[in-house]
Amino acid sequence: MNAVAVTGLGVVAPHGDDPGHLFDALLRGDSALEPVFPELPKPAVAARAAFDESRWFTKLQLAGVDRVSQLAVAAADLAMRDAGAVGALDPERIGVFAGCGMGGAAALEAAYRGGGRVPPLTIPAFMPNAPASHVAMRQGVQGPVLTYSVACASSSVAIAEAAKAVQRGDVDVAIAGGSEALIVPGVVLAWQAMQTLASVKPGEEARSVRPFASDRSGFALGEGAAFLVLESAERARRRGARTYARLAGWGLSCDATHLTKPDAPGQARALRQALRLAGLQPRDVGYCNAHGTATRIGDVVEREALAEVWGDDLDRLRVSSTKALHGHLLGAAGALEAVATVLALHRRALPPNMHGAAVDPACALNLVAPDDTAAPDLHAAISNSFAFGGTNSVLLFCRG
Amino acid sequence: MSSLKELQDLIHEKYGIEASALDPEASMREKGFDSLALVEFVFAIEDHFGITMPDDDPNIDTLAQLAAVVDKVRAKQTA
Repeated sequence: MNAVAVTGLGVVAPHGDDPGHLFDALLRGDSALEPVFPELPKPAVAARAAFDESRWFTKLQLAGVDRVSQLAVAAADLAMRDAGAVGALDPERIGVFAGCGMGGAAALEAAYRGGGRVPPLTIPAFMPNAPASHVAMRQGVQGPVLTYSVACASSSVAIAEAAKAVQRGDVDVAIAGGSEALIVPGVVLAWQAMQTLASVKPGEEARSVRPFASDRSGFALGEGAAFLVLESAERARRRGARTYARLAGWGLSCDATHLTKPDAPGQARALRQALRLAGLQPRDVGYCNAHGTATRIGDVVEREALAEVWGDDLDRLRVSSTKALHGHLLGAAGALEAVATVLALHRRALPPNMHGAAVDPACALNLVAPDDTAAPDLHAAISNSFAFGGTNSVLLFCRG
Repeated sequence: MSSLKELQDLIHEKYGIEASALDPEASMREKGFDSLALVEFVFAIEDHFGITMPDDDPNIDTLAQLAAVVDKVRAKQTA
């Protein structure tokens, strides 16, 4: 089997558009959550991506391009630049594998609430596969250009599917990741109605999301995009590329039990698959970037799944959920957290699990403490993404 | 009555393109106005002048031709 190398990283995220700076911010435990939409009846927090679209688009090019696509174009472009000279590429041998949960929320919201006529490009702006297509046009990609819409697992699934395409030899280079831009009032209201968003205390907005803590109350929305450049390890070696990590395993499963209620056996199936594919035992894996949405039920079920697979080795696995800091990027969450996991391996340091000093006994895990982020022996790490709809995706990375 | 100047101002306001950078007799498509951008621009023209433009005319390729259509529609409206 061809090993799959990660040779480029690109982000446009709540902590900026430099993966190294982003990772530093996560290591420091800096939260990007802030209050949004004070006009809403119930207070809300979210993490926005600071983004200057004029770096990538003229105003004319922005016709019908929703923010979700703008973020994708920028992050994918940064990833390709980071990968360096990818060599003479046949455009038909490049693929885009992009996750997107909801599509152009701002375009749809403007159509409903604009108060005037509906803009004529609402549909092309809103369609969930627009980000992938815009990336393809910008990068001149003529191979498979695919969108995976699997709620919170979208971009994790996209990365796994991209790795399979690289491994099969369908493409030489895959641009894999996702984007999401849902910080608009209508979507925030809808998530509030679902009773999954964290309650907000005035003055403590940045600490609203507390994964695995006894006083956790849910997540906050985040926006952004993240892309990885994947190619075969052999190709990467041939062209002298820097390899951040190898994508050594992935697991995809479905709970097939309930649309929104997570299921430990389903998650455990994905975890086992990823380990099996990588040829690793649970004790070989030193870090888990948890799905960790900080909902009452989600964190307990994830702990159950990890305990089921890791058994007596559970304490050897260090765990954190970076959603406390960048919010839940939904369709882009898997990709952003994959970037964090890859950089954890590359730099042998772990982002801490923040805002969870009072750990829920039902979530007992070896959580990464803010003053203990070094991981000198880290060799393998996983990133979990568990979606509404029951699809579970686990990515397993090893040091390159 | 020519709408050309107002269209040039509208293009400047919306897209930051100076009048001098877009020859009224040049192909708008070649200047980056693809069919989607044109659809959006025609929508903005309708809002600006309070008019309804005829259905997409594939023969309109230059700003001068577009201005001529706008002139015609406005003339009809005031008649």
